[in-house]
Amino acid sequence: MLSWVAKQIVLYWDIFKYLIPAVPWTALITICAFALALILGLIVGVLRISKIKIVATIAGAYINVIRGVPLLVQIFFIYFGLGSILHLDRFSAGVIAVGICYSAYLAEIFRSGIEAIAHGQYEAAMSLGMTRFQTLRYVIIPQSLRIVIPPVANEFIASLKDSSLVSIIGLRELTRAGREYYSQYFVDFQTWLLVGLIYLTMTISLSRLVKYLEKVYSVAGYGSQKA
Amino acid sequence: MIIQVKNLVCRLGDAAVVDDFSMAVDRGEVVVIIGPSGAGKSTFLRCLNAIEEFQAGEIVIDGIRVGKNQKNIHALRLEIGMVFQQFNLFPHLSVINNVMLAQRVVRKRSRAEAEAKGRQLLESVGLGDKIDAYPEQLSGGQKQRVAIARALAMDPRIMLFDEVTSALDPEMIGEVLEVMKNLAAAGMTMIVVSHEIGFAREVANRVIFLDKGKIVEEGPPSSVIDDPREQRTRDFLSKVL
Ligand SMILES: Nc1ncnc2c1ncn2[C@@H]1O[C@H](COP(=O)(O)OP(=O)(O)OP(=O)(O)O)[C@@H](O)[C@H]1O
Ligand SMILES: [Mg+2]
Repeated sequence: MLSWVAKQIVLYWDIFKYLIPAVPWTALITICAFALALILGLIVGVLRISKIKIVATIAGAYINVIRGVPLLVQIFFIYFGLGSILHLDRFSAGVIAVGICYSAYLAEIFRSGIEAIAHGQYEAAMSLGMTRFQTLRYVIIPQSLRIVIPPVANEFIASLKDSSLVSIIGLRELTRAGREYYSQYFVDFQTWLLVGLIYLTMTISLSRLVKYLEKVYSVAGYGSQKA
Repeated sequence: MIIQVKNLVCRLGDAAVVDDFSMAVDRGEVVVIIGPSGAGKSTFLRCLNAIEEFQAGEIVIDGIRVGKNQKNIHALRLEIGMVFQQFNLFPHLSVINNVMLAQRVVRKRSRAEAEAKGRQLLESVGLGDKIDAYPEQLSGGQKQRVAIARALAMDPRIMLFDEVTSALDPEMIGEVLEVMKNLAAAGMTMIVVSHEIGFAREVANRVIFLDKGKIVEEGPPSSVIDDPREQRTRDFLSKVL
């Protein structure tokens, strides 16, 4: 019995050592992809509410198309489809695919965050001579950002989990490392349990961090004027 | 003549909310507009600084001409300050930053210049000790005085007030009217939508009674308020007095 436990511990430790070097790759893909998603999402979200109809329609189409296609298919399309034309490496293709996919979700979050700000805010800014862009930049978006922090944080955590899908194109992140270990040593239960636990540790620490940041950045004065 | 409005028509949906409206206002004049709910008072003020699009007519403010093509609206808005019933302060900015923002990004003033101007205006409306507060920490009357200071910081030639005391508790109405009286005394051209009849009597050079988007009656307060010619004006006044 004791020797079984000892063997198990050694086994888990062995798997752990194998998996750990892949964790920074998972983190890196997630961070790069999400940074891309934030920038694209903010742009598309703002275009979505453009007064120019055709612009708003195109932004809407972008959102609908991307949300309507599975991420896995997007990864294949970008890596094998576009990638062969544009010579994208695995990492870039993975980051672009996850980034674009999440930009569509974030665009909708940003749009609703912008629309949640009362119309009186636009009128006040306009009456002070601010342009539409200045109004968004200095009045609307700073207020929206505080509204959207929780849903955006959720998307970040979701994108961390979805980064596992890029293992399919051979990028050696956490899930890929798990598959490799399994195919060498054929221990499936322990390997996938450990992979799962590592993801869980990351997502739980992230959501803790988000709660903490929300507290720190809850600025005085926010949320007063609903009218 | 600082304001000239010619045959202004503003439709919202199917209804002409402002219907062939013409008027002229002299520099330093204070015009009070009264009228029943839905008369189009707010819509008229919003057209005047082009927050609302209008479909016909034209507005000339201090030589800046705005027709229905909406050219020049930016220049027009710079001449006009507006204060709203619901304050519309920027909740994420402190009082001083509320007053500084447009000075910085629209007037392109330096931080120091904008801040000095902001402080001076906030002192003048009695809020020198509140500059670092956030809007939610202020009473309604204080918010409205910040909103007035914010509009004045842009050096408008004309100020529009849309029922700025209607959302206030009775004990705070006086402090806001006081600021407006001082402004009128200092020679500001003002168009004020208000049912504060005492204020109209004391400060207005002219009172306009508006109903269904048209001027029913206009003249000095002594005639429109105290001795109205039209039956509709009398009916309305008997309700608000
Ligand atoms: N977006 C809109 N579409 C259609 N009709 C509108 C719209 N906004 C306002 N109206 C109508 O226009 C009319 C005039 O509104 P306005 O707000 O100018 O009146 P008001 O004189 O300011 O009234 P109050 O004293 O209630 O503020 C009202 O009958 C209102 O129902
Ligand atoms: Mg109104």
